Amino acid sequence: MTIEAKNITKTFGNYEALKEVSVTVPSGKLVALLGPSGSGKTTLLRIIAGLEQADHGQILMDGRDTTDASARDRRVGFVFQHYALFRHMTVFDNVAFGLRVKKRAERPSREEIRSRVMELLKMVQIDWLADRLPNQLSGGQRQRVALARALAVEPKVLLLDEPFGALDAKVRKELRRWLRRLHDEIHVTSIFVTHDVDEALEVADEVVVMNQARIEQVGPPDEVYEHPANSFVYHFLGSVNLFHTRVRDGQVHLGDDVLDVKTDGEEALVHARPHDIEIAREAENGGWLKAQVLRIHTIGPIVRVELLRADDQSLSEAELTRERYAALRLIVGEDVFFRPRASKIYSAP
Amino acid sequence: MAKKRTSHRVLPGFGLTFGFTVFYTSLIVLIPLAGLFFLTSQMTWAEFWAKAVTDPRVVASYKLSFGAAFIAAIINAVFGFLVAWVLVRYSFWGKRIVDALVDLPFALPTAVSGIALTTLYAHTGWIGQWFDSFGIRIAYTPTGIVLALTLIGLPFVVRTVQPALEDLEAELEEAASSLGATRGQTFRRVIFPAILPSLLSGFTLAFARAVGEFGSVYFIAGNMPYKTEIAPLLIIIKLEQYDYHGAAAIGVVMLLASFTFIFIINLLQAWSRRHQ
Repeated sequence: MTIEAKNITKTFGNYEALKEVSVTVPSGKLVALLGPSGSGKTTLLRIIAGLEQADHGQILMDGRDTTDASARDRRVGFVFQHYALFRHMTVFDNVAFGLRVKKRAERPSREEIRSRVMELLKMVQIDWLADRLPNQLSGGQRQRVALARALAVEPKVLLLDEPFGALDAKVRKELRRWLRRLHDEIHVTSIFVTHDVDEALEVADEVVVMNQARIEQVGPPDEVYEHPANSFVYHFLGSVNLFHTRVRDGQVHLGDDVLDVKTDGEEALVHARPHDIEIAREAENGGWLKAQVLRIHTIGPIVRVELLRADDQSLSEAELTRERYAALRLIVGEDVFFRPRASKIYSAP
Repeated sequence: MAKKRTSHRVLPGFGLTFGFTVFYTSLIVLIPLAGLFFLTSQMTWAEFWAKAVTDPRVVASYKLSFGAAFIAAIINAVFGFLVAWVLVRYSFWGKRIVDALVDLPFALPTAVSGIALTTLYAHTGWIGQWFDSFGIRIAYTPTGIVLALTLIGLPFVVRTVQPALEDLEAELEEAASSLGATRGQTFRRVIFPAILPSLLSGFTLAFARAVGEFGSVYFIAGNMPYKTEIAPLLIIIKLEQYDYHGAAAIGVVMLLASFTFIFIINLLQAWSRRHQ
């Protein structure tokens, strides 16, 4: 089902959670709403689910206006960050809940419910836990139950609010890969909210980056990562080295280097990722900046080097592979040269 | 656990705290109750049976005491739940006042509430006269006793249910509604089962309190033998007649009956809590 949100505005008291937000989720896709806390992503998800009402704007599902429909009429599956399992019911009864509350005419028979629930539990790989109570399960298992429960009523849309937020790092990675595979099997239009960049980039077909009640960028993960629409998106997706420069005749000057761009405005900011910074002992030709090695941290497979620029005393950060670090034989306190291998330029705000 | 030297607890050792607990409960609860049994044991079985089990006046008072307490506890369970629900779920002007009012029966001398109720609900009283015009008498009837017991039991239900309702996550209701449950279904299948253990606790407390109540009932009951005479009153009457054994025997029967009843409710509670 295609979901369209049109000009959604929502305020809580004086706080504006969403300002004129419009977004379209294509049918059958897995879409991530990505943003820092307070960006409005959860509010948008809850409005789509019908758990919250927008002040202005419309929600269309397959072109049909569902703005005023209640949560129970929308046929939306919702998965909560803290699972929201019914504690007094077994896993089986939790999953069967949506089927058992159907009107008598639509309600499947006991046997049908039984086979449907067991099938779902098998799909989320916890059929052996059917008779347990939620408090006897681990976090990852609970979230699988919550997912099976939401899928039991065959929703046209699956909405997940920070589904892996309450899990530890290892389980989180496992579960998000599994969610991706599951989605490839069942193809139900899904939206999940996250503040974890890796999660969004790894799992989603499409990423919607939100900030301060607005949408900053929409696109496939690669495109969003490779071509951030603005400085905020660039910052949010990873670590950044910033170089203040001025635009002269449509060109940006960084050190002795000149980058050809057409950016209006007096000042421009060159953004470069730490892993795109090269370090050398000799400045062979243009574009190298002189700096002092301030600190060296080894973090697993990478080595992070903090650099203090000689000309304006600003800090930069470079990430090297272990091999490159070994080859350079860097020592804290010595002078080296560095430059961004790849960069993005945005006009200064 | 007592012998684990490695565990560092905040309170000093198990031995000391446990010893104190036993000493304290003995002093406050166990020894006085044992005295009751000791006094009763000085009677012969036949005497005990005649005074505390088969005497029709005593039997009538048991029926009234436990019956009225049971009905009052049920009324409190229903309406106390409602009051707790309103206090937790809605915000309205004067909420704090209502919240404080709930505690009043805890603090009020029960004789005062008994006299106040009697004045209001007597057939000439402000409220009683309206009932009287329909031929319903409240004061000086078992209905009046139930009324008094309901008043003193209310806070027990409200104060046990309230925290349980506050702990109930709003997400549970949202989950139920997104799964297609109506409000009625959400209440019946999700909220009520989650609250049931605390509701049973509140019910038990209200019942236990009502069985032992004397002060407020004394004024509103009229205290007619066989009709509106509660068991605690009968104990006092026996004492006034220097029939200490008879009084103790009634006390023992009430104690055993209450204990059995509370034990059954605790079993029920354990059964419903097993699913939490």
